Amino acid sequence: MHPHRRVVLTRRIGYEIQGISITHDLQVTIPAGEHDSVNRGAKRARASVWKGGWSVDPDSRLQGSKVHAKSYRCNLSPTLRRARDALPPPMNPIYLDYAATTPVRTEVRDAMAPYFDELFGNPSSTHRWGRQAAAALAEARDEVATVLGARFSEILFTRGGTESDNLGVCGRVGWHMSQGDRPTVAVSSVEHKAVLTAAKKATADGRGRCRVFDVRPDGSVDMDAIDAALDEGPTVISLMWVNNETGIVLPVPSVAERVRDAGGTMHTDAVQAAGKVPVRVDEVPVDLLSLAGHKIYGPKGTGALFVRRGLEVAPLLHGGGQERMLRPGTEDVAGAVGFATALRLVVEERAVEAARQGQLRDRLERTILESVPDIRINGGPACRAHHVCSVGISGVDGRSLLMSMDLEGVAASGGSACQSGSASGSHVVSALYGETDPRATIRFSLSRHTTEQDVVRGAEILARVVERLRGGAPV
Amino acid sequence: MKSRVLVAMSGGVDSSVAAAMLVEAGHDVIGVTMKTFCYSGTEDHGKTCCGLDGIADARRVAVALDIPHYVFDVEEDFNRDVIDDFVAEYAQGRTPNPCVRCNSNTKFRDLLARGRDLGCDRIASGHYVRVRRDERGTALLRGLDPDKDQSYFLWGLPADILPGLLFPLGELKKSEVRARARALSLVTADKPESQEICFVPTGDYRDLLKTRLGAVHPALQEGPIVDRQGRELARHGGYAGFTVGQRKGLGGGFGAPMYVLEIRPEERAVVVGKREELHADSVDIAGLNWLTDPPAVGSRVHVQLRYRAPAVPAVVTALHQELGLELLEEVAAVTPGQSAVVFDDDRVLGGGRIVRAESAVRV
Repeated sequence: MHPHRRVVLTRRIGYEIQGISITHDLQVTIPAGEHDSVNRGAKRARASVWKGGWSVDPDSRLQGSKVHAKSYRCNLSPTLRRARDALPPPMNPIYLDYAATTPVRTEVRDAMAPYFDELFGNPSSTHRWGRQAAAALAEARDEVATVLGARFSEILFTRGGTESDNLGVCGRVGWHMSQGDRPTVAVSSVEHKAVLTAAKKATADGRGRCRVFDVRPDGSVDMDAIDAALDEGPTVISLMWVNNETGIVLPVPSVAERVRDAGGTMHTDAVQAAGKVPVRVDEVPVDLLSLAGHKIYGPKGTGALFVRRGLEVAPLLHGGGQERMLRPGTEDVAGAVGFATALRLVVEERAVEAARQGQLRDRLERTILESVPDIRINGGPACRAHHVCSVGISGVDGRSLLMSMDLEGVAASGGSACQSGSASGSHVVSALYGETDPRATIRFSLSRHTTEQDVVRGAEILARVVERLRGGAPV
Repeated sequence: MKSRVLVAMSGGVDSSVAAAMLVEAGHDVIGVTMKTFCYSGTEDHGKTCCGLDGIADARRVAVALDIPHYVFDVEEDFNRDVIDDFVAEYAQGRTPNPCVRCNSNTKFRDLLARGRDLGCDRIASGHYVRVRRDERGTALLRGLDPDKDQSYFLWGLPADILPGLLFPLGELKKSEVRARARALSLVTADKPESQEICFVPTGDYRDLLKTRLGAVHPALQEGPIVDRQGRELARHGGYAGFTVGQRKGLGGGFGAPMYVLEIRPEERAVVVGKREELHADSVDIAGLNWLTDPPAVGSRVHVQLRYRAPAVPAVVTALHQELGLELLEEVAAVTPGQSAVVFDDDRVLGGGRIVRAESAVRV
């Protein structure tokens, strides 16, 4: 175990004000040296709580210790507070947007904690602090490599999915260009913008070609277009493993084999695939693979890029020699540790969660199909990961739909906000169903925290909101 | 009556306080910020409103007030209804009021439509104006703070939406609004006023005209500075850089201070004259919108011909497609393209755009 200087105890405290029930995590931080006595005391401590603030019972043994509390609302004036309290109690909000991001799990936070203070060293340093940090970084790298079936040196830590995608796609294209070649980069039409835009940008100056190949609603890809791109050589193909907006599982293994046989480079954005489908680079011959921490209960701003041994990639940033000079800059040791822990845990529980969340997702879709007329499950015919349900709804405005859902306490998402041209609001849905498809898109996404009640209520509220927006019942 | 209110929040202090007051009044408040324009490439310019920083500030205030907040992307509409019009007006030698255009055509129209979707019965903003319901219907009135009154910008609202509007700041002075913002510790409490045009990132509208019209457009080409008799006195670098009443930028050597009297786009000419020649005693107004029944020919009204200018008494001389007014006090620098807003005391009757101004007595 990592040595802790302090102990943080978390207690969940519930209380009620004017009929509104509120729960808080009360965190008590105990300084070093008071470990044992205070630990016992803390368990007995009764914190009394009043609206908007916290105090510790004066009799408590915690006197003198620092008490941290996360106040959920701060600095409200008395008039505002009265006004807020007079409103009807808020409904329990439901978060169904885990494909956007996830909360960091406790194990991850705990694993990271020592690297913010005690073990704060720079892995490049010669002294013991440096060695400790370097060891932690190596352990994290090892953990990621093991989970993916990769070698230690094939894992680069990055600052997230977008960075991994950029380094993988632009870095490989850039290396080809540095060899005097004119590479082709071919990406699928349903890629994340981090790949789509990076591929266009990398070839924008005419020193390369950018092709976009189609994906059909059943999840199949245009193999002829891939073959044509491979013929142009040298070629980089990028195909995401699980689509973030629809959950469609794309045929990465078969495409990767085709690309390998043709001598091209295969990149896959596996940001939404980790923990959802088996992702093993010893079984699937991809050359580059992107991962992100915050989609798998890890911290935001963390990620990794797998680079198969022997594959040349040109760096995008220039500086020191970190991460094999491909990602210079002092390593985020805590982030790497957090990312590795999150990845290991999410892969460990994958089979169980896939079954459980899959059932909930099916329940959600069944309920929606029964209660909302004239809708479509986007990518419905395809093999899909268990955590995403994307619904195409006619007769409503997508932005109003999302805002209304939020006002009803349901967090979901639409397409990417920058796509105002099409009704779907999603370049992915447009790619699957055409630019003129009149349906608005709403995406629900599940996680290990999602319960049956969440999906049932989410579906009920969707039905009510859609009926109102279609001109049915008033509010 | 408590209702669900959609409040337009620009990220400035005024709309922040308006939102807070609605919360205090017990309404179910939803904040929105209109994304009208994106400063691509110049986003670090530090404009105080409407831009991305405005969105961020509005969101911070909404979180502090614990209300939902959304961003409405109206870039496309705004571009078409406001910026295109702004450019076209300058190209024709007129001086537009883009804020009037935005309020009349873009902002409130979109707020209403979206508000309906979100189940809101009222729309609110931080304008310094008042709405009063009386036996003559719903009246739009000047704000009580004479220095901040913004009724000049709202004459173009469709009359039928007035009953659904709330303007919480109408009775307040700016200093009171700042004090309230400070008392609530709103992040926007000490934000400076924004007076500049939100979609002119460089602060000089001629840069925008160059981008939109192309540098070879006649409005941006050299042309003559002439007197009333048509005698060329000097040259100018593009008539779009001038507005009626302007003295700057004409160059010197006229013997006496000269002012722009008129812009003649067909000749690319800027007509100049002495200060006395600027005076007008009649004005014609087009593109009319009425918030009440239009005034009868022969009736006495007040008309405001420029933002922050005092309203002057006038008599209605004609009313068809255009409104003709005889001004009972001479007004200097009546500028085609600017709004003319017709008042009965504090009440906005309606308004339009100035098309021409004349003086019966030529100096």
